[in-house]
Amino acid sequence: MLTVIGHVARKETRQILRDRRTLVLLLVMPIILTFLFGKALETGELRHIPSVILNQDGSPESNAIVTAFSTYDEVRIQGEVGTVQEAQERLAQGKIKAAIIIPRGFMNQIVAGEEAQLQLLLDGTDNNSAPIVEGVAQRVIQRYNAERAVRGLWARGVRPDRGRRLIQPVFVQTEIRYNPGLRYLSYVMPGVIGLTLQLLTVMLMAVSITRERERGTLDQLMASPITRSELILGKLLPYLGMSLLNVITILFVADRWFNVPVRERLPLLLALCTLFVLTSLATGLLISAVSRSQFQAIQIAVFYVLPVFMLSGAYAPIEAIPEAIRPISYLFPLMYFCRAVRAVTLRGADLFLVWKDLAILGGFVLIFLYWAVLSFKKRVA
Amino acid sequence: MTFAIETMNLTRRFGTLTAVADLNLTVRTGEIFGFLGPNGAGKTTTIRMLCGLLLPSEGSARVAGLDVAADAESIKRTVGYMPQRFSLYGDLTAEENLDFFAGIYRLPGPERRRRVTETLARVGLAGRRRDLTDHLSGGLKQRLALGCALVHSPAILFLDEPTAGADPPSRQRIWDLLYQAAAEGQTILVTTHYVEEAERCQTIGFMHQGRFIGAGSPEQCKADMAEDLLEVDALPVMEAAALARGLGGVTGVSIYGHTLRVFAKTTTHLRHHLQEALTAGGITVKNIRAVTPTLEDVFMSLTRGGADGNAGR
Repeated sequence: MLTVIGHVARKETRQILRDRRTLVLLLVMPIILTFLFGKALETGELRHIPSVILNQDGSPESNAIVTAFSTYDEVRIQGEVGTVQEAQERLAQGKIKAAIIIPRGFMNQIVAGEEAQLQLLLDGTDNNSAPIVEGVAQRVIQRYNAERAVRGLWARGVRPDRGRRLIQPVFVQTEIRYNPGLRYLSYVMPGVIGLTLQLLTVMLMAVSITRERERGTLDQLMASPITRSELILGKLLPYLGMSLLNVITILFVADRWFNVPVRERLPLLLALCTLFVLTSLATGLLISAVSRSQFQAIQIAVFYVLPVFMLSGAYAPIEAIPEAIRPISYLFPLMYFCRAVRAVTLRGADLFLVWKDLAILGGFVLIFLYWAVLSFKKRVA
Repeated sequence: MTFAIETMNLTRRFGTLTAVADLNLTVRTGEIFGFLGPNGAGKTTTIRMLCGLLLPSEGSARVAGLDVAADAESIKRTVGYMPQRFSLYGDLTAEENLDFFAGIYRLPGPERRRRVTETLARVGLAGRRRDLTDHLSGGLKQRLALGCALVHSPAILFLDEPTAGADPPSRQRIWDLLYQAAAEGQTILVTTHYVEEAERCQTIGFMHQGRFIGAGSPEQCKADMAEDLLEVDALPVMEAAALARGLGGVTGVSIYGHTLRVFAKTTTHLRHHLQEALTAGGITVKNIRAVTPTLEDVFMSLTRGGADGNAGR
């Protein structure tokens, strides 16, 4: 059995090495994908939301507000506009996401003790940016209000430190354990690694048997005494080798460019990646075993890879998925992989904390491989 | 007498189509059995059942004493199969293909290397061993495919149109290899639709529309042809053929150059009738003679006659 697996593996390796285009795809694409996905999601932490100021008041107070806005990273003030109409036009053209309007008489109202308003014109199309700008505005105004109140109290003989406590007697003290910067990137990197590893392995394996079916070489194989498991395992091994190479390059990219703490728990991470890659390879083999043609195999693979992306918690917690369809998430190996890798890279979890996920991934490997062997028939239809 | 292959009412249906119907076939150990029939006659389906690739719908078959339905995997170990469609790896070299198939037929290391070298020499590819299979010519590919089917020294060889599309010298080389294999005791079942190739076989079986319509040695098949055959030299040949076809007793007419081959149930009076009818039709008849049929004539006669033209059973 082992020697026959070896013969199949050797044959597959030769074919992989001779197919230069696929080889380059296999080795370079994961690096590019990890880099692109990572970069795209890094800026997923919304900053520099393009905004304009309409300062109709032009008073010292309104100028102070404008200055306050420019100290926040989240908004980027692109400049000032002259009229509300102009602000609306820019918003309609999609050039800005927010307009901060300080109406005429702003300072006079404040001085007169009337209610003054800071107006925001927001683009609701982008449901992420709008609340962020609103949050910034709340903070600016809260701070402005507090400072004004402290000054008012001081004028009445209350010392500023005491005045501050009177205005704001309670503070929230937060301590963030794990991922202290609350970087979205740190959260999403395990998903990026998993998706990249999965994409190519599933696709490549999915066409591996169907390609032989289409070229007719499967006839010769099926007429030989090779067993189904020998063929399946023989095809799996070379791709596992290639994928492990990818694991190393991807982890390197994650470590170098995205500051994912890879080195501290390298053996555990490698074990997780290896098991996960095996689940993807086995899934691809299963798809290949049940498909009639390469085209069909690719179709099935796409229909597998896309929902996985949405449902496995790769880029958002699965708690965000409606409860009705959440059970589906538990069917995807990627979910367990992301969970475990997050635990390892963000919380520094060791083997004892993630052994369950390791075991589940191992279970997936066995089930998918067994299923693939059973689905592959050594007879022609 | 031992039979390498024996089928009993072997039948295979695909949906409503019956590809092979009630096939009863015996192939003696060590013989070259030629399976003759037009495209779509059911030859490939039969071979696939005998190789254990396809389950029979009805009936049974034994190959090397093993049942094709129950012992398919054991059969695969003892037979070699060369499919009609080229099915080696184009991105492997000739030697790598042979080595791979020797490997999956579980030849142990030293024997594997010996057999690969031997087979390369045998099929005349020793000098091209490191060439990618995709770069080989059609004839060389066919020889390599035959080599891959032979490399594990199978007791029985199934060859599905091994010479399809090959030029005469390539065909000759392949037949030389088949005779050599047969001389070494291998049983060979080879399909073809080239009639002249069937002459090279010890036994031939005719298949038509999924049915077995005759078998025997080439000589026997010719002797047993149900119809008699007249050769007619007549001018103009097309008009002569049209007239002959309309004559009672005539079952078929083929044109070869300036002569007609006229098939008929009986020739005693026909010869006279034919002469009269043709002359009356304004045709110059130079010669009418009874001739012994060729295999092609037998084939034409059998496919036309269907079940009633049953030669040499």
